[in-house]
Amino acid sequence: MEDKYVIEMRNITKEFPGIKANDNITLKLRKGEIHALLGENGAGKSTLMSILFGLYQPDEGEILINGEKVLINDPNDATKYGIGMVHQHFKLVECFTVLDNIILGSEDSKLGFVTRKKSREKINKLMDDYSLHVDLDKRIDEISVGMQQRTEILKMLYRDSEILIFDEPTAVLTPQEIEGLIHIIKNLAKEGKSILFISHKLNEIMSVSDVCTVLRKGKYINTVKTSETNTDELAKMMVGRDVSFTVDKEKAKPKNIVLRLDNVSVVDKNTKKSVVNNVSFSVKSGEIVAVAGIDGNGQTPLINAITGLGPVSSGTITLLGNDITNGTIKERIMYGLSHIPEDRHKHGLILDYSIAENFVIERYLEDRFSWHRHRLIHFENRKNYSDYLIDNYDVRSGQGSNTTARSMSGGNQQKAIVARELDKDHSILVACQPTRGLDVGAIEDIHKKIINDRDNGAAVLLFSLELDEVLNLADRIYVIYDGEFVAHFINNGLKPEDLGLYMTGSKKMKKENIVC
Amino acid sequence: MLKESKFTEGFKKAVTKHSTKSLLASIISIIVGLIIGFIFMLVASILKPGSSALGGIGILLTGPFNGLNPKYEIGNLIFYMVPIIFTGLSIAIAYKTGLFNIGAPGQFLMGTMGSLLVALSIDTTGNRFLGILVWILAIIVGMLLGMFWGSLVGMLKALFGLNEVIASIMLNWIAANIITWVFKDSPLHNIGEGKDGYLIKTSLTGNFSPTLGLGKLFSSGNISSYIDIGIVIAIVFCVLTWIFMNKTTLGYEMKACGLNKESAKYAGINEKKNIILCMAFSGALAAIGGALYHLNAGIEFKWQSAYQTLPPWGFNGIPVAFLANCNPLGIILSSMFIRYLSTSGAFLPMVGFNQYFADIIIAIIIYLAGFTRYFIGRIDKRIRDMELARLLEKEKNGLKSDPPNDNVIVMEEEGKK
Repeated sequence: MEDKYVIEMRNITKEFPGIKANDNITLKLRKGEIHALLGENGAGKSTLMSILFGLYQPDEGEILINGEKVLINDPNDATKYGIGMVHQHFKLVECFTVLDNIILGSEDSKLGFVTRKKSREKINKLMDDYSLHVDLDKRIDEISVGMQQRTEILKMLYRDSEILIFDEPTAVLTPQEIEGLIHIIKNLAKEGKSILFISHKLNEIMSVSDVCTVLRKGKYINTVKTSETNTDELAKMMVGRDVSFTVDKEKAKPKNIVLRLDNVSVVDKNTKKSVVNNVSFSVKSGEIVAVAGIDGNGQTPLINAITGLGPVSSGTITLLGNDITNGTIKERIMYGLSHIPEDRHKHGLILDYSIAENFVIERYLEDRFSWHRHRLIHFENRKNYSDYLIDNYDVRSGQGSNTTARSMSGGNQQKAIVARELDKDHSILVACQPTRGLDVGAIEDIHKKIINDRDNGAAVLLFSLELDEVLNLADRIYVIYDGEFVAHFINNGLKPEDLGLYMTGSKKMKKENIVC
Repeated sequence: MLKESKFTEGFKKAVTKHSTKSLLASIISIIVGLIIGFIFMLVASILKPGSSALGGIGILLTGPFNGLNPKYEIGNLIFYMVPIIFTGLSIAIAYKTGLFNIGAPGQFLMGTMGSLLVALSIDTTGNRFLGILVWILAIIVGMLLGMFWGSLVGMLKALFGLNEVIASIMLNWIAANIITWVFKDSPLHNIGEGKDGYLIKTSLTGNFSPTLGLGKLFSSGNISSYIDIGIVIAIVFCVLTWIFMNKTTLGYEMKACGLNKESAKYAGINEKKNIILCMAFSGALAAIGGALYHLNAGIEFKWQSAYQTLPPWGFNGIPVAFLANCNPLGIILSSMFIRYLSTSGAFLPMVGFNQYFADIIIAIIIYLAGFTRYFIGRIDKRIRDMELARLLEKEKNGLKSDPPNDNVIVMEEEGKK
């Protein structure tokens, strides 16, 4: 058992122009083992898995499956060797049923018609074996993200995969769904499947994996038994230095009111349901106010109402004393709105524009970036400014300011947005999931920058689904549930448990206790 | 060693530039298109004895030089480039803003109508100076009409969410019918009435495009070709459009809307304004094409069939734009290329082929241009492989190349200590 590996990747090296993505990496996976692959963004996890999955060929090194040397030329080969992968972004056909999605590509047919009966029996058996239940007749767009992920897992099991790769599987899940997933993964391992679990979240790795391999900047660092290590040690291996999980900050010194909402409601155009209900609060300069809550409780429509991306049905919003309830986004930016959007691809960046072009997207008409009465672009200033942001905010890009945003890693795209929004003159920063999908080092860095921003006199309104982040950063916390503010706390050493009951709607504060 | 690396650096820079890649991709699609066309003609020559596929391809490649007087053919070739350059530009700038302007024929017609109404209603025969003034006025009126016609599409899209393709198809036919009515039954119908169903040539009222002596330069004996100042204006507009799209803040704004509407909105850019403005510009460009084409001294406008067939110049802008990958400067080349092949079509009967073979080959090439992205991807991969080989070579020679990122990491770690 000790020396029998289902997969051995030996001394893998893969080089891309200008960067060694994998430098002599060795990874060994035993049967029935949950093996975590830990590393920051850009550490080479994805490259390594792409090599295993046949998407890239290694420049050096070899892959052994069950002790035999193999060549994996494309994903079909990988499937042949029993390797299956659950991608971070699911590859499902939305308008198909769960059943059809699972059998798609390996469906049985009779006279050219799909026969589903045998497949259904097989899937039902799989679901029982692994206690992994999904309603097979629901369409993908009718089921939750957690259920979609289960569909992906069933897809692999249906194809008799023995080695399952999970690529950052928890990034899209709610805390409850994460717990469920961890349970499922442990079940799979118990039944003899071997699992590779890619993540940069230390808590998950501690709770799910048996063994953990750490990569840093494309290099192999170490492989450790999870039971013999702790999060601090793992973090140190991953980042290469000590990381503090709590942020040091001084007490807030709030001054004048910057943003104020009075009885703001938003009614959904399609469902006619009130998704934001009579919300009133204010944010002062020099304080960080967080809105905590479980995803889908009205955060997005509230953010949209404040930032101008969506409508307000009733109530008023004022920014620095100016009524902006129905104001354009341009006006809001003029009064000092900086906005780190929830969805960096949809709103945050123009992916086909270069990073320099993206840096000035709100400011291209400023004297500095345009000339001839703002008609022509000032390329030199734009380039200089872009270089300055890249240096000061540690945005890594292959070709400096000319890199297209699309070709940058997710973490660096987010850093670029943060850089742009913080560096712009602003009175309020609306930060929505500012560290989503980032690694420990980058999160620490962004947290520091946000606190620094507060200390420089900006008002900060933070929307986050990560309770740790809320508790670490916020001076005051509002809890949102079903479109309503149900609790208000001053944060002096609050614990997650203090907020929990309010977030699930089991408890509510009296209206008059929710100070605005 | 240094010299070589400098050279490869420069080469890499040139090749990885997007415009160079597009040019390469277009050239590849042209070559492949000609090969497929050759196969077509080969098959046809088997079916029809007496025709020669090699001769056919030879004629396509030599184009206007097959004529008795190549200079005259080239003059006409250049003249016929003008309308498709303008409709090509019209489609290209709309496409860059994320709009598919299929309304170029309608805008082209509005430009034609506006300019001819002006040019034919004022008689300046004998006074060339006044004639030029009226000529300029005619272009401006045509342009404004086209601008209005284009902005209608923009407004329908921006304010009512009507798809621009549907809106512009409808407006094409409305324009075609308006023009028929104007020249047939409206109170203006006797302006410039020529032979049945036609208007008179602008040379009869004196308000025609200056030829700058080009017509004589590209002539056959006493017969001048159509070439006039239009080509100069067209090239100027290509350059201006290129500058507009790449160097101005408004161009940056419009492209932002085209690439990602949502993030343009997020950044405070008024998307609706940009849609309307873009369609107005787009309409103006197509209209100038219509005006310049019909203001030529030798062209008669046939309004009679307008309501049945839209002018081909409008839709021909689509292949011109896409063969050039919507690059305004590339449009000069792509329009020239398309006219070159079209011209050669007229000589195909000399080797036993129908003139429409040229059109077939043009269509194949346009179709291949649709694969441009694929070709670009291949070229990209080739460059990456080359780069990789170079790096590995260096390594072998013992010159350990430190990837730039490693330096950053080391510095960073030291800094943090």
